[in-house]
Amino acid sequence: MKDVEEIIKSIEKLPPFPVMASQALKILDDPGASVGDVISVVQYDQAITANVLKMCNSAYYGLARKVHSLREGLVLLGNTQLKEIILASTVVKFFQPENKGYDLAKGELWKHAVATGIISRVISRRVSESEPPSLFTAALLHDIGKAVLNSFVDRYFEEIIALVDTGDYSFLEAESKMLGINHAELGEKIAKSWDFPEDIVQSIRLHHRPEEASAGDVITPIVYLANVITLSMGIGIGRDGLSYRGKQEVMKRYGLKPKDLQAIIIDFYDEYNKVQDVLKLA
Amino acid sequence: MKVSDDPAATLITHSLGSCIGVAIYDPVAKVGGMLHYMLPESRLDSNKAKNQPLMFADTGIPLLFKACYKLGAEKKRIISKVAGGSQIMDASGVFNIGKRNYAALRKIFWRNNVLVDAEDVGGTSNRTMRLNIPTGELALKVSGRGEIIL
Repeated sequence: MKDVEEIIKSIEKLPPFPVMASQALKILDDPGASVGDVISVVQYDQAITANVLKMCNSAYYGLARKVHSLREGLVLLGNTQLKEIILASTVVKFFQPENKGYDLAKGELWKHAVATGIISRVISRRVSESEPPSLFTAALLHDIGKAVLNSFVDRYFEEIIALVDTGDYSFLEAESKMLGINHAELGEKIAKSWDFPEDIVQSIRLHHRPEEASAGDVITPIVYLANVITLSMGIGIGRDGLSYRGKQEVMKRYGLKPKDLQAIIIDFYDEYNKVQDVLKLA
Repeated sequence: MKVSDDPAATLITHSLGSCIGVAIYDPVAKVGGMLHYMLPESRLDSNKAKNQPLMFADTGIPLLFKACYKLGAEKKRIISKVAGGSQIMDASGVFNIGKRNYAALRKIFWRNNVLVDAEDVGGTSNRTMRLNIPTGELALKVSGRGEIIL
Protein backbone atom coordinates (compact mmCIF):
# COMPACT_ATOMS: atom_id res chain seq x y z
CA MET A 1 0.00 0.00 0.00
CA LYS A 2 2.98 2.28 0.52
CA ASP A 3 3.18 2.70 -3.25
CA VAL A 4 -0.11 4.56 -3.60
CA GLU A 5 1.37 7.99 -3.08
CA GLU A 6 4.22 7.25 -5.45
CA ILE A 7 1.75 5.96 -8.05
CA ILE A 8 -0.50 9.00 -7.83
CA LYS A 9 2.49 11.30 -7.95
CA SER A 10 3.70 9.59 -11.12
CA ILE A 11 0.70 11.05 -12.97
CA GLU A 12 2.83 14.18 -13.10
CA LYS A 13 5.29 12.37 -15.33
CA LEU A 14 2.68 12.06 -18.07
CA PRO A 15 2.98 14.76 -20.70
CA PRO A 16 0.31 17.39 -19.97
CA PHE A 17 -2.90 17.40 -21.99
CA PRO A 18 -2.19 20.04 -24.63
CA VAL A 19 -3.84 23.39 -23.86
CA MET A 20 -4.46 23.77 -27.57
CA ALA A 21 -6.60 20.65 -27.68
CA SER A 22 -8.67 21.67 -24.63
CA GLN A 23 -9.28 25.04 -26.25
CA ALA A 24 -10.26 23.49 -29.58
CA LEU A 25 -12.68 21.09 -27.88
CA LYS A 26 -14.25 23.97 -25.94
CA ILE A 27 -14.66 25.99 -29.12
CA LEU A 28 -16.39 23.05 -30.82
CA ASP A 29 -18.85 22.94 -27.91
CA ASP A 30 -19.77 26.56 -28.51
CA PRO A 31 -22.55 26.83 -31.10
CA GLY A 32 -21.50 30.40 -31.88
CA ALA A 33 -17.95 29.50 -32.80
CA SER A 34 -16.74 29.48 -36.38
CA VAL A 35 -14.50 27.20 -38.40
CA GLY A 36 -11.85 29.91 -38.31
CA ASP A 37 -11.85 29.89 -34.49
CA VAL A 38 -11.01 26.21 -34.39
CA ILE A 39 -8.35 26.43 -37.08
CA SER A 40 -6.66 29.35 -35.38
CA VAL A 41 -6.13 27.17 -32.32
CA VAL A 42 -5.28 23.80 -33.84
CA GLN A 43 -2.96 24.86 -36.64
CA TYR A 44 -0.04 25.62 -34.32
CA ASP A 45 0.38 22.01 -33.33
CA GLN A 46 1.79 20.28 -36.38
CA ALA A 47 1.78 16.77 -34.98
CA ILE A 48 -1.89 17.00 -34.03
CA THR A 49 -2.80 18.71 -37.29
CA ALA A 50 -1.13 15.88 -39.23
CA ASN A 51 -3.05 13.30 -37.19
CA VAL A 52 -6.31 15.17 -37.70
CA LEU A 53 -5.83 15.12 -41.47
CA LYS A 54 -5.02 11.40 -41.48
CA MET A 55 -8.09 10.66 -39.41
CA CYS A 56 -10.36 12.83 -41.58
CA ASN A 57 -9.21 10.76 -44.53
CA SER A 58 -9.78 7.38 -42.91
CA ALA A 59 -12.50 5.24 -44.50
CA TYR A 60 -14.35 5.33 -41.18
CA TYR A 61 -15.62 8.85 -41.85
CA GLY A 62 -16.49 8.00 -45.42
CA LEU A 63 -15.70 11.35 -47.03
CA ALA A 64 -16.10 11.29 -50.81
CA ARG A 65 -12.89 13.20 -51.44
CA LYS A 66 -9.49 13.53 -49.87
CA VAL A 67 -9.06 16.29 -47.32
CA HIS A 68 -5.86 18.32 -47.73
CA SER A 69 -6.29 21.03 -45.14
CA LEU A 70 -7.78 21.58 -41.72
CA ARG A 71 -10.29 23.98 -43.23
CA GLU A 72 -11.59 21.37 -45.66
CA GLY A 73 -11.87 18.81 -42.88
CA LEU A 74 -13.73 21.23 -40.68
CA VAL A 75 -16.16 22.09 -43.42
CA LEU A 76 -16.86 18.50 -44.45
CA LEU A 77 -17.21 16.96 -41.01
CA GLY A 78 -19.64 17.94 -38.31
CA ASN A 79 -18.69 19.29 -34.89
CA THR A 80 -19.23 15.95 -33.15
CA GLN A 81 -16.95 14.09 -35.50
CA LEU A 82 -14.37 16.83 -35.39
CA LYS A 83 -14.34 16.78 -31.64
CA GLU A 84 -13.62 13.08 -31.57
CA ILE A 85 -10.96 13.43 -34.27
CA ILE A 86 -9.14 16.23 -32.45
CA LEU A 87 -9.41 14.36 -29.16
CA ALA A 88 -8.16 11.08 -30.61
CA SER A 89 -5.35 12.88 -32.47
CA THR A 90 -4.30 14.44 -29.18
CA VAL A 91 -4.47 11.44 -26.87
CA VAL A 92 -2.85 8.91 -29.21
CA LYS A 93 0.56 9.71 -27.76
CA PHE A 94 -0.54 8.60 -24.28
CA PHE A 95 -1.63 5.22 -25.61
CA GLN A 96 1.27 4.73 -27.96
CA PRO A 97 4.22 3.48 -25.89
CA GLU A 98 4.92 -0.13 -25.14
CA ASN A 99 3.44 -1.12 -21.76
CA LYS A 100 5.74 -3.77 -20.34
CA GLY A 101 3.81 -4.26 -17.12
CA TYR A 102 0.75 -5.35 -19.08
CA ASP A 103 2.89 -6.94 -21.81
CA LEU A 104 1.41 -4.72 -24.49
CA ALA A 105 3.58 -3.96 -27.51
CA LYS A 106 3.79 -0.43 -28.87
CA GLY A 107 0.42 0.65 -30.24
CA GLU A 108 -1.58 -2.18 -28.67
CA LEU A 109 -3.25 -0.04 -26.01
CA TRP A 110 -4.23 2.39 -28.77
CA LYS A 111 -5.86 -0.42 -30.76
CA HIS A 112 -7.75 -1.39 -27.63
CA ALA A 113 -8.87 2.22 -27.11
CA VAL A 114 -10.06 2.72 -30.70
CA ALA A 115 -11.81 -0.67 -30.82
CA THR A 116 -13.64 0.07 -27.56
CA GLY A 117 -14.67 3.45 -28.94
CA ILE A 118 -16.11 1.88 -32.08
CA ILE A 119 -17.88 -0.91 -30.20
CA SER A 120 -19.41 1.56 -27.75
CA ARG A 121 -20.95 3.30 -30.74
CA VAL A 122 -22.22 0.03 -32.23
CA ILE A 123 -23.84 -0.85 -28.89
CA SER A 124 -25.32 2.61 -28.51
CA ARG A 125 -27.01 2.31 -31.89
CA ARG A 126 -28.77 -0.83 -30.61
CA VAL A 127 -29.73 0.28 -27.13
CA SER A 128 -30.29 4.03 -27.17
CA GLU A 129 -32.17 6.45 -29.34
CA SER A 130 -29.24 8.78 -29.77
CA GLU A 131 -25.58 8.52 -28.93
CA PRO A 132 -24.69 10.15 -25.60
CA PRO A 133 -22.27 12.99 -26.44
CA SER A 134 -19.48 11.79 -24.11
CA LEU A 135 -19.69 8.13 -25.02
CA PHE A 136 -16.94 7.87 -27.63
CA THR A 137 -14.47 9.91 -25.59
CA ALA A 138 -15.18 7.91 -22.44
CA ALA A 139 -14.72 4.64 -24.31
CA LEU A 140 -11.52 5.84 -25.98
CA LEU A 141 -10.00 6.94 -22.67
CA HIS A 142 -11.24 4.18 -20.36
CA ASP A 143 -7.84 2.51 -19.91
CA ILE A 144 -5.71 5.67 -19.68
CA GLY A 145 -4.78 4.60 -16.14
CA LYS A 146 -2.84 1.66 -17.55
CA ALA A 147 -0.40 4.07 -19.18
CA VAL A 148 0.75 5.10 -15.69
CA LEU A 149 0.03 2.00 -13.59
CA ASN A 150 2.00 -0.08 -16.09
CA SER A 151 5.40 0.29 -14.43
CA PHE A 152 3.96 -0.60 -11.00
CA VAL A 153 2.15 -3.63 -12.37
CA ASP A 154 5.50 -4.69 -13.80
CA ARG A 155 7.13 -4.36 -10.38
CA TYR A 156 4.49 -6.48 -8.61
CA PHE A 157 3.42 -8.72 -11.47
CA GLU A 158 4.24 -12.02 -9.78
CA GLU A 159 2.19 -11.12 -6.72
CA ILE A 160 -0.71 -9.80 -8.81
CA ILE A 161 -0.88 -12.87 -11.03
CA ALA A 162 -0.65 -15.17 -7.98
CA LEU A 163 -3.80 -13.51 -6.62
CA VAL A 164 -5.56 -13.81 -9.99
CA ASP A 165 -4.57 -17.49 -10.19
CA THR A 166 -6.42 -18.22 -6.95
CA GLY A 167 -9.61 -17.52 -8.92
CA ASP A 168 -10.86 -15.17 -6.22
CA TYR A 169 -9.53 -11.94 -7.70
CA SER A 170 -10.05 -10.20 -10.99
CA PHE A 171 -6.95 -8.45 -12.33
CA LEU A 172 -8.49 -5.15 -11.23
CA GLU A 173 -9.05 -6.41 -7.69
CA ALA A 174 -5.52 -7.79 -7.57
CA GLU A 175 -4.15 -4.40 -8.64
CA SER A 176 -6.09 -2.76 -5.80
CA LYS A 177 -4.88 -5.32 -3.27
CA MET A 178 -1.21 -5.18 -4.25
CA LEU A 179 -0.84 -1.54 -5.28
CA GLY A 180 -3.58 0.14 -3.25
CA ILE A 181 -5.11 1.57 -6.43
CA ASN A 182 -6.29 0.08 -9.72
CA HIS A 183 -5.97 1.31 -13.30
CA ALA A 184 -9.57 2.54 -13.37
CA GLU A 185 -9.15 4.70 -10.25
CA LEU A 186 -5.85 6.01 -11.52
CA GLY A 187 -7.50 6.80 -14.87
CA GLU A 188 -10.10 8.81 -12.97
CA LYS A 189 -7.35 10.92 -11.43
CA ILE A 190 -5.66 11.48 -14.78
CA ALA A 191 -8.91 12.54 -16.46
CA LYS A 192 -9.58 14.91 -13.54
CA SER A 193 -6.12 16.41 -13.86
CA TRP A 194 -6.92 17.04 -17.53
CA ASP A 195 -10.17 18.78 -16.58
CA PHE A 196 -12.40 16.33 -18.39
CA PRO A 197 -16.16 16.50 -17.79
CA GLU A 198 -17.46 14.65 -14.76
CA ASP A 199 -19.43 12.01 -16.70
CA ILE A 200 -16.27 10.92 -18.50
CA VAL A 201 -14.24 10.91 -15.28
CA GLN A 202 -16.86 8.70 -13.61
CA SER A 203 -17.11 6.26 -16.45
CA ILE A 204 -13.33 5.81 -16.50
CA ARG A 205 -13.45 5.10 -12.77
CA LEU A 206 -16.31 2.61 -13.05
CA HIS A 207 -15.57 0.93 -16.38
CA HIS A 208 -15.18 -2.42 -14.60
CA ARG A 209 -17.83 -1.73 -11.96
CA PRO A 210 -20.87 -0.45 -13.88
CA GLU A 211 -23.19 -1.52 -11.06
CA GLU A 212 -21.90 1.42 -9.04
CA ALA A 213 -22.79 4.00 -11.67
CA SER A 214 -25.65 6.36 -10.88
CA ALA A 215 -29.07 5.59 -12.36
CA GLY A 216 -28.82 8.48 -14.80
CA ASP A 217 -25.39 7.48 -16.08
CA VAL A 218 -25.98 6.29 -19.63
CA ILE A 219 -22.36 5.92 -20.69
CA THR A 220 -20.67 3.73 -18.05
CA PRO A 221 -22.66 0.53 -18.75
CA ILE A 222 -22.03 0.87 -22.49
CA VAL A 223 -18.31 1.52 -22.00
CA TYR A 224 -18.21 -1.50 -19.69
CA LEU A 225 -19.82 -3.74 -22.27
CA ALA A 226 -17.72 -2.36 -25.12
CA ASN A 227 -14.57 -3.09 -23.11
CA VAL A 228 -15.70 -6.64 -22.35
CA ILE A 229 -16.29 -7.27 -26.05
CA THR A 230 -12.93 -5.75 -27.01
CA LEU A 231 -11.22 -8.00 -24.46
CA SER A 232 -13.10 -11.01 -25.81
CA MET A 233 -11.92 -10.19 -29.31
CA GLY A 234 -8.36 -10.17 -28.00
CA ILE A 235 -7.74 -6.62 -29.19
CA GLY A 236 -4.96 -4.92 -27.26
CA ILE A 237 -5.03 -7.26 -24.31
CA GLY A 238 -1.96 -8.32 -22.44
CA ARG A 239 -0.94 -10.23 -19.36
CA ASP A 240 -4.17 -9.33 -17.62
CA GLY A 241 -5.91 -11.38 -20.30
CA LEU A 242 -9.65 -11.64 -19.74
CA SER A 243 -9.38 -11.72 -15.95
CA TYR A 244 -12.17 -9.21 -15.39
CA ARG A 245 -15.67 -9.76 -14.08
CA GLY A 246 -18.74 -10.27 -16.22
CA LYS A 247 -21.72 -8.26 -15.02
CA GLN A 248 -24.83 -9.84 -16.43
CA GLU A 249 -27.00 -7.03 -15.05
CA VAL A 250 -25.70 -4.78 -17.83
CA MET A 251 -26.95 -7.26 -20.42
CA LYS A 252 -30.29 -7.43 -18.61
CA ARG A 253 -30.59 -3.67 -18.44
CA TYR A 254 -30.50 -3.49 -22.24
CA GLY A 255 -32.32 -6.76 -22.86
CA LEU A 256 -29.27 -8.17 -24.66
CA LYS A 257 -28.78 -11.89 -25.25
CA PRO A 258 -25.56 -13.75 -26.12
CA LYS A 259 -26.53 -13.73 -29.79
CA ASP A 260 -26.78 -9.93 -29.64
CA LEU A 261 -23.16 -9.81 -28.51
CA GLN A 262 -22.25 -11.81 -31.60
CA ALA A 263 -24.22 -9.45 -33.82
CA ILE A 264 -22.41 -6.49 -32.23
CA ILE A 265 -19.08 -8.17 -32.99
CA ILE A 266 -20.06 -8.61 -36.65
CA ASP A 267 -21.06 -4.95 -36.98
CA PHE A 268 -17.89 -3.91 -35.22
CA TYR A 269 -15.55 -5.69 -37.63
CA ASP A 270 -17.09 -3.88 -40.59
CA GLU A 271 -16.15 -0.57 -39.02
CA TYR A 272 -12.86 -1.72 -37.54
CA ASN A 273 -11.64 -2.56 -41.03
CA LYS A 274 -12.17 1.08 -41.96
CA VAL A 275 -9.97 2.49 -39.20
CA GLN A 276 -6.71 0.78 -40.07
CA ASP A 277 -5.17 4.20 -40.87
CA VAL A 278 -6.23 5.47 -37.48
CA LEU A 279 -4.60 2.50 -35.77
CA LYS A 280 -1.36 3.29 -37.55
CA LEU A 281 -1.23 6.69 -35.85
CA ALA A 282 0.32 4.90 -32.86
CA MET B 1 -6.23 -17.87 -42.38
CA LYS B 2 -2.73 -18.80 -43.46
CA VAL B 3 -1.54 -22.02 -45.06
CA SER B 4 1.95 -22.92 -46.13
CA ASP B 5 4.31 -25.62 -47.37
CA ASP B 6 7.32 -23.31 -47.26
CA PRO B 7 10.07 -25.02 -45.24
CA ALA B 8 11.19 -21.64 -43.89
CA ALA B 9 7.75 -20.47 -42.74
CA THR B 10 6.29 -19.94 -39.31
CA LEU B 11 2.59 -19.09 -39.11
CA ILE B 12 1.47 -16.85 -36.28
CA THR B 13 -1.87 -15.73 -34.99
CA HIS B 14 -1.89 -13.17 -32.21
CA SER B 15 -4.03 -12.54 -29.20
CA LEU B 16 -6.91 -15.01 -29.49
CA GLY B 17 -9.01 -13.92 -26.52
CA SER B 18 -12.37 -15.67 -26.92
CA CYS B 19 -11.58 -16.48 -30.53
CA ILE B 20 -10.33 -19.93 -31.47
CA GLY B 21 -7.08 -20.68 -33.22
CA VAL B 22 -7.03 -23.95 -35.15
CA ALA B 23 -3.68 -25.25 -36.38
CA ILE B 24 -3.58 -28.28 -38.66
CA TYR B 25 -0.48 -30.03 -39.96
CA ASP B 26 0.40 -32.92 -42.23
CA PRO B 27 3.80 -34.23 -41.08
CA VAL B 28 4.41 -36.13 -44.31
CA ALA B 29 3.58 -33.38 -46.79
CA LYS B 30 4.93 -30.82 -44.32
CA VAL B 31 1.94 -28.62 -44.98
CA GLY B 32 0.31 -26.59 -42.28
CA GLY B 33 -2.45 -24.08 -41.83
CA MET B 34 -3.93 -21.83 -39.21
CA LEU B 35 -7.33 -20.22 -38.79
CA HIS B 36 -8.32 -17.56 -36.26
CA TYR B 37 -12.11 -17.33 -36.15
CA MET B 38 -14.22 -15.07 -33.99
CA LEU B 39 -17.72 -16.49 -33.89
CA PRO B 40 -19.39 -19.91 -33.86
CA GLU B 41 -22.08 -19.86 -36.49
CA SER B 42 -22.49 -18.17 -39.85
CA ARG B 43 -26.28 -18.40 -39.78
CA LEU B 44 -26.19 -15.35 -37.50
CA ASP B 45 -25.50 -13.26 -40.59
CA SER B 46 -25.48 -15.21 -43.82
CA ASN B 47 -24.59 -12.17 -45.90
CA LYS B 48 -21.51 -11.51 -43.85
CA ALA B 49 -20.62 -15.19 -43.97
CA LYS B 50 -20.52 -15.01 -47.74
CA ASN B 51 -18.06 -12.11 -47.71
CA GLN B 52 -16.08 -13.11 -44.64
CA PRO B 53 -16.44 -16.87 -44.19
CA LEU B 54 -13.25 -17.03 -42.12
CA MET B 55 -14.94 -15.13 -39.31
CA PHE B 56 -17.11 -18.13 -38.38
CA ALA B 57 -16.28 -21.66 -37.25
CA ASP B 58 -18.71 -23.45 -39.55
CA THR B 59 -17.63 -21.65 -42.72
CA GLY B 60 -13.97 -21.08 -41.84
CA ILE B 61 -12.87 -24.54 -40.68
CA PRO B 62 -13.79 -26.32 -43.95
CA LEU B 63 -11.88 -23.66 -45.90
CA LEU B 64 -8.79 -24.24 -43.76
CA PHE B 65 -8.82 -27.97 -44.44
CA LYS B 66 -9.49 -27.48 -48.17
CA ALA B 67 -6.63 -24.99 -48.50
CA CYS B 68 -4.23 -27.47 -46.89
CA TYR B 69 -5.48 -30.32 -49.10
CA LYS B 70 -4.67 -28.12 -52.09
CA LEU B 71 -1.05 -27.98 -50.96
CA GLY B 72 -0.91 -31.76 -50.68
CA ALA B 73 -2.08 -32.45 -47.14
CA GLU B 74 -4.20 -35.56 -46.63
CA LYS B 75 -7.02 -35.81 -44.14
CA LYS B 76 -5.88 -39.12 -42.61
CA ARG B 77 -2.49 -37.67 -41.70
CA ILE B 78 -3.65 -34.34 -40.35
CA ILE B 79 -2.81 -33.39 -36.78
CA SER B 80 -5.15 -30.78 -35.30
CA LYS B 81 -4.42 -28.52 -32.39
CA VAL B 82 -6.73 -25.93 -30.89
CA ALA B 83 -6.23 -22.95 -28.58
CA GLY B 84 -8.12 -19.90 -27.34
CA GLY B 85 -11.76 -19.74 -26.35
CA SER B 86 -11.13 -17.77 -23.17
CA GLN B 87 -13.74 -15.69 -21.49
CA ILE B 88 -14.14 -13.10 -18.79
CA MET B 89 -15.02 -14.22 -15.26
CA ASP B 90 -18.72 -14.85 -15.56
CA ALA B 91 -20.68 -17.50 -13.72
CA SER B 92 -23.92 -16.55 -15.48
CA GLY B 93 -22.65 -17.65 -18.90
CA VAL B 94 -24.02 -14.67 -20.83
CA PHE B 95 -20.53 -13.63 -21.91
CA ASN B 96 -19.31 -17.10 -22.87
CA ILE B 97 -18.43 -16.45 -26.51
CA GLY B 98 -15.29 -18.53 -26.01
CA LYS B 99 -17.21 -21.59 -24.91
CA ARG B 100 -19.63 -21.27 -27.82
CA ASN B 101 -16.74 -20.89 -30.24
CA TYR B 102 -15.15 -24.07 -28.91
CA ALA B 103 -18.42 -26.03 -28.94
CA ALA B 104 -18.92 -25.12 -32.60
CA LEU B 105 -15.50 -26.56 -33.45
CA ARG B 106 -16.18 -29.82 -31.60
CA LYS B 107 -19.44 -30.20 -33.48
CA ILE B 108 -17.83 -29.67 -36.90
CA PHE B 109 -14.89 -31.93 -36.11
CA TRP B 110 -17.19 -34.67 -34.81
CA ARG B 111 -19.38 -34.52 -37.91
CA ASN B 112 -16.33 -34.82 -40.12
CA ASN B 113 -14.52 -37.46 -38.13
CA VAL B 114 -11.60 -35.27 -37.18
CA LEU B 115 -9.99 -35.57 -33.77
CA VAL B 116 -8.39 -32.81 -31.74
CA ASP B 117 -4.86 -34.01 -30.98
CA ALA B 118 -4.01 -31.32 -28.45
CA GLU B 119 -5.70 -28.27 -27.07
CA ASP B 120 -5.34 -25.44 -24.61
CA VAL B 121 -8.70 -23.73 -24.37
CA GLY B 122 -10.83 -21.78 -21.92
CA GLY B 123 -9.90 -19.94 -18.76
CA THR B 124 -9.17 -16.21 -18.77
CA SER B 125 -5.74 -16.26 -20.43
CA ASN B 126 -4.90 -14.61 -23.69
CA ARG B 127 -3.03 -16.80 -26.17
CA THR B 128 -0.81 -16.31 -29.21
CA MET B 129 -0.16 -19.31 -31.47
CA ARG B 130 2.91 -20.08 -33.62
CA LEU B 131 3.13 -23.04 -36.02
CA ASN B 132 6.54 -23.99 -37.34
CA ILE B 133 6.00 -25.43 -40.82
CA PRO B 134 9.14 -27.58 -41.23
CA THR B 135 8.71 -29.29 -37.84
CA GLY B 136 5.00 -28.97 -37.12
CA GLU B 137 5.80 -27.70 -33.64
CA LEU B 138 3.05 -25.55 -32.17
CA ALA B 139 4.11 -22.99 -29.58
CA LEU B 140 1.66 -21.06 -27.45
CA LYS B 141 2.36 -17.85 -25.60
CA VAL B 142 -0.13 -17.71 -22.76
CA SER B 143 -0.62 -14.53 -20.74
CA GLY B 144 0.49 -15.03 -17.16
CA ARG B 145 1.87 -18.52 -17.91
CA GLY B 146 4.64 -17.91 -20.44
CA GLU B 147 5.39 -20.09 -23.44
CA ILE B 148 4.32 -23.73 -23.80
CA ILE B 149 4.63 -26.29 -26.58
CA LEU B 150 1.31 -27.89 -27.42
